[in-house]
Amino acid sequence: MSDPVSEKPERSRAAKWTRRGFIGAGAIAGGALVVGVAVRSGNPVGKLKGIVAQGEGEALVNAWVKIGSDNLVTAIVPHCEMGQGANSTIAQMLADEMDVNWENVRVMDAPADGNYVSQHAVRTFVGPGTLPDRPNQVSFMEPTYDGLFTQIGKLAGAYITGGSSSVRSTGQNGMRIAGAAAREMLVASAAKEWGVPAAEITTQNATVIHAASGRSEPYSAFAAAAAEQDLPRAPRIKTVDEYKLMGTPAPRKDIPSKVDGTAIFGVDAGPEGENLRYAAVKASPVVGGAIASMDASAAKEMRGVLQILNMGDFVAVVADSYWQAQRALNTIKITYTESENDSADTATMFAGFTKALDEAGDSGGNSKADYGDAVGALADAVTKVEAEYKVPFLAHATMEPMNCTAWVRDGKCDIWTGTQVPLMARDGAAEGAGVSADDVTMHSVLLGGGFGRRLTPEYTNQAARLAKATGYPIKMIWSREEDTAQDFYRPADISRFTGGLDENGKVICWNNVHCTEDEPPEAPLVEFYDIANVSVRNAEVEWPVRLGAWRSVAHSQHGFFVESFVDELAAAAGKDPVEFRRELLKNSPRHLAVLNGAAEMAGWGSPLPEGHGRGIALARSFNSIVAEVAEVDMTGETPKVTKVYCCVDAGFAMNPDGLKAQMESGIIYGLTAAMYDEITIKDGAVEQSNFHDYKMMRMDDAPDIAVQIINGAPDNLGGAGEPGLPPAAPAVTNAIFAATGQRIRELPISKHFA
Amino acid sequence: MNAIKLTLFAMTATVSLSACGSESPEPTEQIVIREPGEAATPVEGAAADADGADAADLVAAGKSAFAACVACHSVTPDGASSIGPNLYGVVGRAAGSLAGFDYSDAMAGSGLTWNSGELDEFLTNPSAKVPGTRMVAGAVNDADDRAAIIAYLATLSE
Ligand code: HEC
Repeated sequence: MSDPVSEKPERSRAAKWTRRGFIGAGAIAGGALVVGVAVRSGNPVGKLKGIVAQGEGEALVNAWVKIGSDNLVTAIVPHCEMGQGANSTIAQMLADEMDVNWENVRVMDAPADGNYVSQHAVRTFVGPGTLPDRPNQVSFMEPTYDGLFTQIGKLAGAYITGGSSSVRSTGQNGMRIAGAAAREMLVASAAKEWGVPAAEITTQNATVIHAASGRSEPYSAFAAAAAEQDLPRAPRIKTVDEYKLMGTPAPRKDIPSKVDGTAIFGVDAGPEGENLRYAAVKASPVVGGAIASMDASAAKEMRGVLQILNMGDFVAVVADSYWQAQRALNTIKITYTESENDSADTATMFAGFTKALDEAGDSGGNSKADYGDAVGALADAVTKVEAEYKVPFLAHATMEPMNCTAWVRDGKCDIWTGTQVPLMARDGAAEGAGVSADDVTMHSVLLGGGFGRRLTPEYTNQAARLAKATGYPIKMIWSREEDTAQDFYRPADISRFTGGLDENGKVICWNNVHCTEDEPPEAPLVEFYDIANVSVRNAEVEWPVRLGAWRSVAHSQHGFFVESFVDELAAAAGKDPVEFRRELLKNSPRHLAVLNGAAEMAGWGSPLPEGHGRGIALARSFNSIVAEVAEVDMTGETPKVTKVYCCVDAGFAMNPDGLKAQMESGIIYGLTAAMYDEITIKDGAVEQSNFHDYKMMRMDDAPDIAVQIINGAPDNLGGAGEPGLPPAAPAVTNAIFAATGQRIRELPISKHFA
Repeated sequence: MNAIKLTLFAMTATVSLSACGSESPEPTEQIVIREPGEAATPVEGAAADADGADAADLVAAGKSAFAACVACHSVTPDGASSIGPNLYGVVGRAAGSLAGFDYSDAMAGSGLTWNSGELDEFLTNPSAKVPGTRMVAGAVNDADDRAAIIAYLATLSE
């Protein structure tokens, strides 16, 4: 196997990599199993040390681990905390590999520094999909990939929290190796110091132990020496039977601060001791529109107002308090320039979708999957089933509205904001402040909800521009109205299916065409179902609004489409929906186990009261498999979801409690959208504005949720943040069908019960 | 490279470009009403004088916002001090000077005279303004509320 540290032609453009640089960067020789920081020239640890290890006697062992003189071990995690708890779980993985007890572990957000680009996350997004998770095997291809990932990562400003990737990518491929490597380096240092063979040394509770001579020392005693050690060529990571912390519900490290109120979210943060000024902003409600004029005569007279700015693409009021700024802004009469989207509306857009789908017919459009002969097989079908489904645009509605605090002075810019992409947010701020990216300091804070909304940098750009123009430290807060009107929306879609059954009710063909470009690409695919002839395509359409990633991304639409249609096929075949799916899953044992798990939890088949119904749905997303059974009560005026039983196989639950919480959260977020919400466009602008017309699911409408976990593939982890969502909507609509015979083909459900 | 897999990045990257451009535009219009450090409210300003109704509103608002203070301060003429000193006539009075009240050394020696600017700063963060003060509660975060309270206190004198 080639030594990745030696220079190779494809890397010759990069500066020479010294071995020291690699080690310092926390990379591992012998297969380029890179521990986080990876492919860059020079040794960044010196620079990073000043940023992340400032405490007295603290040693940065590699870029992901630091050990304090108090023997506390800190995991430096390149993902942000938006409620999902993944950072704590990642620290758990590190601690287990390092043999550190949970009480001695701390978690720190990695600074927004290019060295913390999570190429493991990038790989999950852009990698060739086929690359198995095998952290302790030498892979010849990996050096090249890692180089590529780092590059792409830098291009996209990735240091990204999304794609349900933190635990399965950064944790599995980064932190565990960092932990194992750190442990071996500590052991090596102790062996040297004590003059005993490393093999005789054991570790436990952040202590190195040499039983034969009765010696033991805390890790901190060797931290500095360990940092000087060569990185192990291939640190040995634990097998499942050796896990101590992994797989346990270790309490999340972020809970205490959230309970006692000391947790700092973006909206709470700012420069210490400075008198912040507040900004409220309003941009053109129509995409492509700019500010033509503003009449601020009333606002000028209002109390607390310091400045009123026409920024070209938005209007801002800066005042002593947020509420003063917002009230003044509300009085400003703004006119907007013309935009090609001025006449856009949802109905016209959907008519365009229909036309595009008509044109695509049964074989046109971009092929996503094509095996067998879906069109030809239909001719042999005894029963043909056709259906068309429709879903609306959705907003993210994060509990904490979009906000950013910026302070520009002396050629430097400081930013306090919740973001899923700190580097991209930093670049947005740099442009806004007119400084270089290196002159921007990102202060990491908690996110009051992300769901994909905080993957864009436009709000840091806005705040930095205001801070620069006014000279004040500015806390810019979007009103809920602005948040709803200026989102990057989950794409609306129409999806058409034609399916055929043979005389035994077996599915022989599946033909689907829809409009959205799918991210991730496997979202509409059904290869786990045993269907011989499949065609999945999309037709290209125009969008009148900005699109974004919304929790579970394209799975959020296709979960509903696919599982509704499977249910319709089951009904056409005259079969029980669970029995029907069991037959389809005969070659997919993990999917089948999950389906059976959910059915069993729900007591599938047992009698329900009059007017109640049960529905099941199954989805695979972000490498996790989830089945949900929903129970609905249709005896009232509107449907009420009473129970959701969820069975999940995420490979291995690193923290079962965290996985369960994410399933519950995904279900509630999915039900909120499925039951109530749509974003519609009229005259180019979003019609909804706040929680009265974009509802959230409240406690009294929330179902009881039960979650059961299957650890079906300990070496092949799946995500947690998103996979709970896709089955939620179809489980409910299938339950409504079971209860009443009414098939809901368009979301939200509330539309049909107005 | 799989083009489709890059969609998410493409989305965000486009956003970055369309939102920021290569350089971010400066304001096309910037109305500066006042600089920081100038009085934060029209209490003593022309606006309040010009609009008597506004001033009366402000005093009324101040009276109700003063609810945050009544646990420690009375405001009746010649009323007894309790945990904090009686604040009747405090505007214009030297800090720490009410006879019979046991002030902290910090307050007694502060050398301040209470006008609306000093009060505004004190109420924003008492221990920043008078380090060592015994007034440990009573900070008022909202600038409007502070202005209102001060306007109300200003009415409390012969
Ligand atoms: C928990 C009790 C408490 C509360 C509540 C409180 N104060 Fe005080 N206040 C004090 C004390 C005690 C002092 C004396 C401080 C010292 O001697 O350092 C004081 C002093 C003052 C002074 C200086 C008076 C002087 O004679 O120099 C002012 C003005 C004042 N408070 C205003 C307020 C206002 C307005 C509020 C409500 C927003 C308020 N305080 C709330 C306890 C309180």
